[in-house]
Amino acid sequence: MNQSARRSNFLIWAWTLFVLVLVYLPIVCGALAGLSKSRYFGFPVARWSTEWWSRALESFEVQTIVKTSLAIALIVTLVAVVVAFFGALAFARYDWKGRRLYQKLVLLPIFFPQPVLGLALLLWFNAVGIQPTWQTAIFAHLVWIVPVVTLVIAIQVYGFDPALEEAAADLGAGRLFVLREITLPILWPGVWSGALFAFLLSWGNFPLSLYTTGADSTVPEWLYSKMVAGYTPMVPALGTMSTLAAATLLLAGGLIAALLRRRAAGKAASA
Amino acid sequence: MTAAAFASPPAPSPLPEALPILQLVGVRKTFGAFAAVERIDLDIRDGEFLTIVGPSGSGKTTLLRMLAGMEAPSEGDISLRGVRINETPPARRPTCLVFQSLALFPHKTVGENIEFPLKVKKVSPAARKSRALELLRLVQLPESYYAKNVMQCSGGERQRVALARALAYDPDVLFFDEPLSALDYKLKKVMEKELKDLHRLSGKTFVYITHSLEEAMVMSDRIGVMRAGRLVQVGTPEEIYTQPSTKFVAEFMGEVNVFDAVRAEGGWRIDGVDGPATLNLPSALREADAAAVVVRPEFLRFVEGPAGAQNRLTGVVFNEYALGSRIQYQVRVGEKTFLLELSRANAWRGKPGDAAIIGWDARDAIVVAA
Repeated sequence: MNQSARRSNFLIWAWTLFVLVLVYLPIVCGALAGLSKSRYFGFPVARWSTEWWSRALESFEVQTIVKTSLAIALIVTLVAVVVAFFGALAFARYDWKGRRLYQKLVLLPIFFPQPVLGLALLLWFNAVGIQPTWQTAIFAHLVWIVPVVTLVIAIQVYGFDPALEEAAADLGAGRLFVLREITLPILWPGVWSGALFAFLLSWGNFPLSLYTTGADSTVPEWLYSKMVAGYTPMVPALGTMSTLAAATLLLAGGLIAALLRRRAAGKAASA
Repeated sequence: MTAAAFASPPAPSPLPEALPILQLVGVRKTFGAFAAVERIDLDIRDGEFLTIVGPSGSGKTTLLRMLAGMEAPSEGDISLRGVRINETPPARRPTCLVFQSLALFPHKTVGENIEFPLKVKKVSPAARKSRALELLRLVQLPESYYAKNVMQCSGGERQRVALARALAYDPDVLFFDEPLSALDYKLKKVMEKELKDLHRLSGKTFVYITHSLEEAMVMSDRIGVMRAGRLVQVGTPEEIYTQPSTKFVAEFMGEVNVFDAVRAEGGWRIDGVDGPATLNLPSALREADAAAVVVRPEFLRFVEGPAGAQNRLTGVVFNEYALGSRIQYQVRVGEKTFLLELSRANAWRGKPGDAAIIGWDARDAIVVAA
């Protein structure tokens, strides 16, 4: 390796390390804060303890908010993926009158400031006489997340060759058969990443939940309220758990995809 | 290829008088104000290999998509065995299109691709597999390819898989939208012949679309030449080659000498060339003021004296090109360029830059509409 190659190699490593430190240092700090015995946030950590972790796990309050957040995120994921899948087909697959307008309109909610959107939705719920609960938060999340998921799936749809559907129909297949055998399997990767986006965006959403959950509370809301008043190291402990859970989810997803690929390759090779 | 894959022996060449399998009457297709296909009348005979040739944008793909049912004609009628099928969707037509992109399902194996139409028809998995293996043999792919991922196949192999899949549908008519255009020259030549053999074996009607007349010549029973949405000429390869109806068809054939003949005192002369005062033309052109004359490069020759040919031009040999067994010469006469082709055995003895007299006989020229 010559001088300049070595130098550029060093620079690549240095830059990568810098970015990693920049991204992970705050998370590590949060994790450390959760492992402190002291009630107050301070560095260096004087005495270590897993007390706050076990208290967070045992707390009925924490269990309730995690359940609420999970319920919202799961339902949002399911609804968003179904709506966004067909929305993405309209976005990228079919050429129809008004498509360009639709493409712009569907993306507008993404650019709308979320706190304003949350407030607007709350006012709207009040106007039509709906009591805000965690169910209304599902609706609020969908307003913002469906456009995002539509865009994510649309990217996959853009790479889809419409001739495949035409060819399947030409070989005698009906619409449902084409959807099940051709369109869906080819668009699966996009649907999966859309679902992952939907879940994580809903799980981590604060501004929309703040206005629209009513008396119920989600994880980000609870974390915020505890930061403002009544801080305990349960806050960073729960934050760390949430991060670890998300990381596990991503890892599991990647692992399953890799296993499926290996199985498909094995099937092809063995025959 | 084995004939065993087909139940009945191949039918002999069909009689022209037989009921056409597909009939187009006044078919027109417009997209907004643009007419992609302009009033086409055409009978497609049962069992024939018909090729539609035309440059890109001539409307041949639109015509094919209407025949396959992917577009409906704006005007006119398409009938299949006498039954109007204008709006019949592709799934309910006994026809199958092999796409230019082949449209193989990338997430399925070779076997699953071929079995697709059988799966639609709810054929049992065992019967599907045996038919797929049969078709693999027919298109000359090894049986081991059955479980291969279709995206791992080469261009020529994919071609064969697409063909096998179309045959698995067992259509009466197969449509081809330039499926060979992505292949290299050598493989294309092989596939052209295989396709023609397959046509003979299957006895099915093939309708093929290409921009290459050379490809059409090799395979077709009949050729239709399209230009700007119209069918300019329909005929056997022989007819298209020897009697092109217009200058366009003649030029589309490949390298030919085409020039405009204009009235001169007491006869005809070539426009833009000082040349002979009078041309000897094959047929009498009494009324017309102008006509286009086509002389194929192989009908032009170098002549020595005035007796050498009925029409003579004096020019300069600009360059020569070796074409394997033949040699082509570019001869410049005035502002015009002529191509002349000789077999290698009869090569011209001069060198580029030399003056030469070229000539042809009246019977070797074709007069077409200008």
